[in-house]
Amino acid sequence: MAQREYHIVVLGSGGVGKSCLTAQFVQNVWIESYDPTIEDSYRKAIDVDGRHVILEILDTAGTEQFTAMRELYMKTGQGFLLVFSITSMSSLYELTELREQIRRIKEDDHVPLVLVGNKSDLEEDRAVPRPRAFKISQDWGDVPYYETSARRRANVDEVFTDLCRQIINKDQREYDRRPAKTKKGPKNRRGRGQREHRIHCTIL
Amino acid sequence: MADYMLEREETDKRASALVAPLNIQKSPKRSPSRASSHVRQSSSRGTISIKSQPHSHSQISPPLTPRTSREGLPHRQPAQPVFHNYLRAFYHFHPTSTVSSASTDESSITVPINQGDVILVHSVHPNGWADGTLLASGARGWLPTNYCEAYDHATIRNLLNALTHLWDLVRDGESGHLVVFTKQDYVRGMIAGVRFFLERTQCLTRDSALVLAHVGLRRMRKGLLGDLSSLVKTAKKLQETLQSNQAPVPVFEQLDELVLKAFKLVTRAVRFLDIWAQDAVSLSFDLGDATNNRPPTPPSDAVDPASVQQPTTTNQNDHGAASANGDDVSVSQTSATATATATATATTEELNSVATHQPPRNVRSSVAFSIPSESDAMQSPLLPQPQGQANRSSVAHRLSYTGKSHGLRNQDLVSERLNTAHDSFLGFIGSFIGLHLQSRSSNELTFTTQQSVIACRQLLAVVEQVWERDARRSEQLEQARDMMYARLTELVQATKDMFSASDASLGDDVVMPEAGKQLVAAATSCVRSAGDCVTRARSVIERIGDFEFETVGLGLSETMFEQIGQDAQRETAEEPAQPTRLEPAIETEKPLPAPPTAHRQLPPLIISESKPLPEIPLPSPPEQDGVGLQPVVPVAVDSPTAVSFRSSRSSLPPPNHLPTPHLPQPNPSDHSQSPASATQRFFPKSVRIDSVNASVTDSNSTFRYSMRGDTASIISQPSTRATTPDRSPAKKHSSQTLVGSFGSVSELHSLASEDAADAAAAAEEHLLETTYAHELICNKDGQVSGGSLPALVEQLTTHEATPDAMFVTTFYLTFRLFTTATELAQCLVDRFDYIGDTQAIGVPVRLRVYNVFKGWLESHWVGESDSAALGIILTFATGKLRAALPGAGKRLAELTSKVTEVRGGALVPRLVSSLGKTGVSNTIFTAADTNVPNPIVSKSQLNALKANKEGKAQCSILDFDPLELARQFTIIESKLYCSIQPEELLALEWTKKNGSKAVNVRAMSTLSNDLANLVADTILLLEDPKKRAVIIKQWVKIALKCLELTNYDSLMAIICSLNSSMVLRLKRTWELVPAKIKARLEELKVITDVGRNYAVLRQRLQDHVAPCIPFVGIYLTDLTFVDVGNGTTRQLPGEDGSDRLSVINFDKHMKTAKIIGQLQSFQVPYRLAAVPEMQEWMELQIQRVRASDQSNVQSYYRRSLLLEPREVPQVVKASPPLMDSGAQSTFSADSRILSKDKFEFLGFQFHHANSKDRSI
Repeated sequence: MAQREYHIVVLGSGGVGKSCLTAQFVQNVWIESYDPTIEDSYRKAIDVDGRHVILEILDTAGTEQFTAMRELYMKTGQGFLLVFSITSMSSLYELTELREQIRRIKEDDHVPLVLVGNKSDLEEDRAVPRPRAFKISQDWGDVPYYETSARRRANVDEVFTDLCRQIINKDQREYDRRPAKTKKGPKNRRGRGQREHRIHCTIL
Repeated sequence: MADYMLEREETDKRASALVAPLNIQKSPKRSPSRASSHVRQSSSRGTISIKSQPHSHSQISPPLTPRTSREGLPHRQPAQPVFHNYLRAFYHFHPTSTVSSASTDESSITVPINQGDVILVHSVHPNGWADGTLLASGARGWLPTNYCEAYDHATIRNLLNALTHLWDLVRDGESGHLVVFTKQDYVRGMIAGVRFFLERTQCLTRDSALVLAHVGLRRMRKGLLGDLSSLVKTAKKLQETLQSNQAPVPVFEQLDELVLKAFKLVTRAVRFLDIWAQDAVSLSFDLGDATNNRPPTPPSDAVDPASVQQPTTTNQNDHGAASANGDDVSVSQTSATATATATATATTEELNSVATHQPPRNVRSSVAFSIPSESDAMQSPLLPQPQGQANRSSVAHRLSYTGKSHGLRNQDLVSERLNTAHDSFLGFIGSFIGLHLQSRSSNELTFTTQQSVIACRQLLAVVEQVWERDARRSEQLEQARDMMYARLTELVQATKDMFSASDASLGDDVVMPEAGKQLVAAATSCVRSAGDCVTRARSVIERIGDFEFETVGLGLSETMFEQIGQDAQRETAEEPAQPTRLEPAIETEKPLPAPPTAHRQLPPLIISESKPLPEIPLPSPPEQDGVGLQPVVPVAVDSPTAVSFRSSRSSLPPPNHLPTPHLPQPNPSDHSQSPASATQRFFPKSVRIDSVNASVTDSNSTFRYSMRGDTASIISQPSTRATTPDRSPAKKHSSQTLVGSFGSVSELHSLASEDAADAAAAAEEHLLETTYAHELICNKDGQVSGGSLPALVEQLTTHEATPDAMFVTTFYLTFRLFTTATELAQCLVDRFDYIGDTQAIGVPVRLRVYNVFKGWLESHWVGESDSAALGIILTFATGKLRAALPGAGKRLAELTSKVTEVRGGALVPRLVSSLGKTGVSNTIFTAADTNVPNPIVSKSQLNALKANKEGKAQCSILDFDPLELARQFTIIESKLYCSIQPEELLALEWTKKNGSKAVNVRAMSTLSNDLANLVADTILLLEDPKKRAVIIKQWVKIALKCLELTNYDSLMAIICSLNSSMVLRLKRTWELVPAKIKARLEELKVITDVGRNYAVLRQRLQDHVAPCIPFVGIYLTDLTFVDVGNGTTRQLPGEDGSDRLSVINFDKHMKTAKIIGQLQSFQVPYRLAAVPEMQEWMELQIQRVRASDQSNVQSYYRRSLLLEPREVPQVVKASPPLMDSGAQSTFSADSRILSKDKFEFLGFQFHHANSKDRSI
């Protein structure tokens, strides 16, 4: 494989807890003090289906108001986590625009994406019905939908793993396409990937 | 003998809880090495002949080797060996020859101990000898642990911990780390310890009932405070010396003195506790069932039932049992002897002899008994000891013993081993992973895999030993170890899989990438579990004490080699059993480690395993000559002091180089015995051993621990014969060393003059400041990383040194995040109250309290949230503060009224950044400075701008010089950037959707967006690609100028826009942009790269000095993650999890403040001249862009599509038929871009259909 380092961009409006999601994922449990200013702060090695990959996560939390910067961030990403808060409907709507922007900048309609409804621990404040979010994820082209709780570290790793799996599959497809177009392998791979996504959609 | 049998049975049970390896003596014949060690030990000055000793031992000691005794012990005893930092001597121990002369053999120094002595333990050898320092004298040497018991009591624990800490500091200091001593903070722990101690004993104030009622306690308390004051004075002196940069030599002496003072202080505290426990407590407390909690095991009971005992031994034990029971035949014998001795002594010093009973074995319980409710601490055995054989096969060390100073590390300590094993493991596995990520040759692979596995094995072996050693068999560690083992197994399995795969295939050198990935995955999880395992192991070591590691043969790893590539099946099956196989390999085949002769930091132990522990003195020794009990004439007078506690510095200083601790002069009057002087204390005590024996048989019940006896004698004051190290308050002693000061005659004098002492003591009480030092956490660099509010306030108002600027800054900046203004004000007032008004401490602290208030009001006042505290502050200013410091009170009162008047903004421009840069308040253009460059703007340009303003003509950015445009942008940006207030950056204020106070941060982001939009707008406005290319070129030039001006914010905005999809996709335009410009743009893109956490940008910022406009987004992201990724509280490090206190995680706030400080360090206005006309025009342009509905990204994108439609050919070429099939249904309502939308849509369809096609 040509590349084992994948770039993931975490997007979403302010206050949806996406930084918390990233911090939870990146942070080692035994580190007492977290310093986000060093180069490796957002790198993490994970295993996806037996593959060892390094994820570099770009989470520009705090700079949501720098709308002009978004494309710069998006350019670097191979996969995107689109995060909203289940307690805020508007945070979900804002993702639609972001997704459009991603499609544009990537000039690709099948960019690996995961839709994430965060703050699932605040069920009593839920403003986004689960079917609603799920519907949107379907409309986006069968994008996996997860509900996470960064605070309780629920589904955090799963989200990143799923996205990473999508990137790997896509990577593999492109890799396979290049040498011989008639190859049969990719079909299967893709099919499997999609099925997995569907399964994951229901995971909470 | 039924009794005997009973006793034996009990003994067996107790053996498990033994304190130290006992009775592990060999018969002389069996241990020639032992004989030699004794030869070495003997001194030319020794009065007892060498040969007599083995003889005496053969009489008392059973011929038990450590090994045989261990074999007899049942496996896995319930006892929980814990390494104790402090021991207390339970018996006298006066070796026949304390030292061989220091010059010839320093290693075999045994230190004589007296009953009641408290010992700081550095390490414990498996044979039961401990390397310790006597607090009473500062002498360091080997001492038998079976003569001692653990000393740990909640009341005094803080103090003891503080002493350990101080000792470690001093040890570090000796190797040159003296910085810590320039601040006085390091004695604070001692002060806090004393305070806590007095608090717990209810003797904190002079007026407390207990102190008033109990003369002895009163005196002891006074003495204790005297010691403390003397310690603090020494610390101060040391501080002054260091600050005056004198040669290091006197510093060492002062360090010595410091430690000795601290020792003395603790010694006195120990005695205080004894009195308190004995008398005072019994007055006011109900001891309740303390008697039931008596620790069961007198050391001498430790007779291994399985071993063959010599008759003498049995007899002896019999004696012991008998004397305790008081109904054996031997009692009469015992008492007869003892009485004889007793009568001899009693005639002259009856009182004293009664007071200083030597305890018989069982009386040990009285010690525990004497300290209520702490019997649990006493019960635990002293040492990491007789469980499995492995448990005692090496020396146990205090964990801090390994120290921070690099030169002193002992490679063999398990903590070190753990670190190195972990490091090498990480190293190997790192290269392993690295290798797999790149090229793969099977040879290399095999090698690195093997290396990794070996390293992992070694790490596991260390962990295994730690686990073995720990009697509690830490479950957590076990789990972590098993987990790691499982991971390792996976790794091995993965390797094997790979090799079998490669064997099956024809090409040997081809390694399947899939298998490689598995390997890497296995390796990664291995790393993770190893990290966990190491953490757990460390915590266990902390508990049980560090110990020396036995080299485990690489036999393990050799089996690993076999596994790889061979006989995979069998090995896999066997593998899980490996950890258990580890154990016997260690235990059975290894001889006991050679004694640590090569230690640099302690007198090396020549007493090897063969050196038996001395027999516990028995109440009625059969040998009336006393040889066995060693009432020994001191051999070397200088021995205890000669063994400098500073022995960590080198081995041991040769006698003539000995520093301060002077040899005690033989005192003509034996009234004031210096316990530090071996000469003086040996004789009388050894006599008393007998006398004690006598009294024991007489009065078992009323027996008192000798220390208490001593103090009791003070209380009654009948005898001047001080048997304890120090019984008089040492307020005024000026002697250099403890040796000199203890029990000196002058002190006895000072004791006599009660009145003066009272006055002095009254003053000294203030020394005992209330302190929350124990609620403060510092990190490795000495920075405060956590603490309760009172502890933080204390740090803020410390009297010793000016508080750390960064700390103060952080506190002012962030306190509202962890407390309220009211709470802070109250806490400051409390600090003012409890510190008192002493000249030395109270006044400076009170001034600091005032200063904190002043700084707060003047520079850090936030009316909104802080005004609630105004009432408290005003009351304080007009009340307590005015009474104490009238001027300050007046000033503070004034400030409170000013603060209410002035709304918004600080009274005095603050210097928030610790970098001490000038404030923000300056206007950007202070004066017509000569350094300000002239604007590059011509008359005609200005005219054009005017015309533009009047609506007569249009200007373009092409009309102006790129540098001047960049300058004007920079001026505008800088104005905003310099206005950013630190409050805007706290607690994610700028992200708040409604009512955010972060107006300037918001304005920054808006400006950045505006600039980016302006760039896009100017480009997309033009129909002609050539013109667009010219505009792009101009913007690139402006961006380059921004970089020159270190205006990264504008730079980012311009690059973002040039890099955006709507501009970047204009291929025809870009073709017309000169290659040179494109190359420059690429350079700029590298600089603004967001990858690797803005690594490039961060690196550049480090090298810059103000003025500079960094990209604010980096700081905002950092602040967000500091806020999210760090908890609000952290726990105080404590022994048990239950009573750990959560305190403010100040580290988080320090991090926040550091980031804000960085931002502020660049908040310096540029020295540039504004061209108002040009800025106006820019404003206008921005307004125009903002007003147009074009300003959102989507509309720009549409415009871009309009200008240069999607390239159809590519689409068509890829899949022509799809164009027709999918495109008919939907079209955009916007007719202008109809065709483009269609193309877009088609493109979309193409991809979709294509992929669909593939998936089916």
